Amino acid sequence: MVDVRRVRGGDGLTEIDEELDQILDSVVENTRLATESFFASYDKNPDKKRLAAWLAPRAWREIDYVFLLNEQIRRYGMDFDRKHITLLAKQSFQEAEHYEIVGRAIENLGGTVPTEAPAEAKPWSDFLWDCLERHPLAAIAAWNCSETSASGSFEPTFKAGERHDIDEIVRVYKQIETDEKFHVGLGRQILGAYTRTDNDRDEILRAMRGMRDLAWKTFTPESVAEARGV
Amino acid sequence: MTTFDSRSLEQASELSELTIAKLHSAADGVVSLELRAPDGADLPEWEPGAHIDVLLPNGIVRQYSLSGDPAERDCWRIGVLREPASRGGSSFIHDELRQGDKITVSAPRNNFRLIDAERYLFIAGGIGITPMLPMVRAASAQGKPWTLLYGGRSRNSMAFLDEIAGFTGGEAHIVPQDEFGLLDLQKFLGEHRADTLVYCCGPAPLIDAVEAKCQTWRSGALHLERFAPSDKASKKEKGSFEVELAKSGQRLVVPPYRSILDIVEEHGCKVTNSCRAGICGTCLVKVISGVPDHLDDVLSYEDQEKGEVMLVCVSRAKSDLLVLDL
Repeated sequence: MVDVRRVRGGDGLTEIDEELDQILDSVVENTRLATESFFASYDKNPDKKRLAAWLAPRAWREIDYVFLLNEQIRRYGMDFDRKHITLLAKQSFQEAEHYEIVGRAIENLGGTVPTEAPAEAKPWSDFLWDCLERHPLAAIAAWNCSETSASGSFEPTFKAGERHDIDEIVRVYKQIETDEKFHVGLGRQILGAYTRTDNDRDEILRAMRGMRDLAWKTFTPESVAEARGV
Repeated sequence: MTTFDSRSLEQASELSELTIAKLHSAADGVVSLELRAPDGADLPEWEPGAHIDVLLPNGIVRQYSLSGDPAERDCWRIGVLREPASRGGSSFIHDELRQGDKITVSAPRNNFRLIDAERYLFIAGGIGITPMLPMVRAASAQGKPWTLLYGGRSRNSMAFLDEIAGFTGGEAHIVPQDEFGLLDLQKFLGEHRADTLVYCCGPAPLIDAVEAKCQTWRSGALHLERFAPSDKASKKEKGSFEVELAKSGQRLVVPPYRSILDIVEEHGCKVTNSCRAGICGTCLVKVISGVPDHLDDVLSYEDQEKGEVMLVCVSRAKSDLLVLDL
């Protein structure tokens, strides 16, 4: 009934809508598979520290979004409607809340909350910030793809919650699931509203394709094992 | 007690015919009616704050608070004040109905629920005492400290004083105006108490005064039931409308500068939401009746046209009333 990708507000993406949806579908599916794969490995070895390590790049994403969104507003905000500045700031606040609640979950699992980009999250973070440098809409396209990817992780996480005692993580992911709809809808609306030229569309596609290839990688069991050095 | 939620006969649900088992004067101008099933069977359960529709033989429908004891399952009690400007409701009950007569009533509905709190302040004016009686009884039974502030024109006009005297665990302040003047609201409401919920029922001037005194109280602390539409509702601000929450029967006014979401949250109704800007769709609510004015950016035009759902963070009403599945 509600499809946030179809949010109204501008037609700047019409020419590339179909390709964007393919990219987003693909990253959601890859994230779903990566999350299922992680929890399949967790079924065999339900070590809470591994779960904490799996959540660490998620926590970093949340706080990195805060830094990025505020820089986005500072750098490019005056080219946007005031409403969109407000909503980007609101998104930033929610990302900070997510950092707080994911962080608390990590600590309760005996892990450490990242205060700098974990190695496995570095390519993701570097790409995001590179997009911000390149074009006013590119970082929005990149985080929009990354935020959309998160929706692939929800169901496998909720299902894992039925097998393991991870109520806090399920609760945190439910909140992220609700807010993610806002963030995805907002990103799409801003892109639709301010995209004017073919160059804008090229940069958006570049950012989305790049993030498609990165967003899901930190969710795999291999990534978690590498991060823990095992 | 007549509330402003005046419904037509067709809208009243689960009607049943009850016998007036007892009808007697409870105070000057007030009669008390005890209603029972003709076969003595138990009546539907209810909670303090509930009211019933009474469908009079002359076609008039009036709402009266249940004032008895919910534990007494085979009997409902209502108190009816003879309204000086009666249009055939209270005057019919006073003049025409007799013990043993039958009247048609609806199942109880509750727009004025007693919410759990550490302590209660009940404020009643005149016949507004009727919904307060089961509330005080419940607070007393739960061992919750309570204060009742009950005002009326004169002692003789104040119903159920003997019953109030029997309640324990709290203090009742009986304030006939001809002896003590108006209720001293400043004394009881002047200082905000975080642990207290305030329930008030009475005539408009009392309600307005209590509302004004509670401006500094936390949101949600004050619960009101009016005899008649507030001036605010009847002299409707342009752009305002009402929403009814179907699950509780609560009816709320949404002013032009507030959202439905703000108002329902303020009255203790939780709705999932995130953006509050018509983008995320998480506050989607089913519309039971009324015509929404869709102002969101995400519902499809087809869904907007159907009007069966709406996003309560930004959308409003084209009709005077929206009934929502909340």
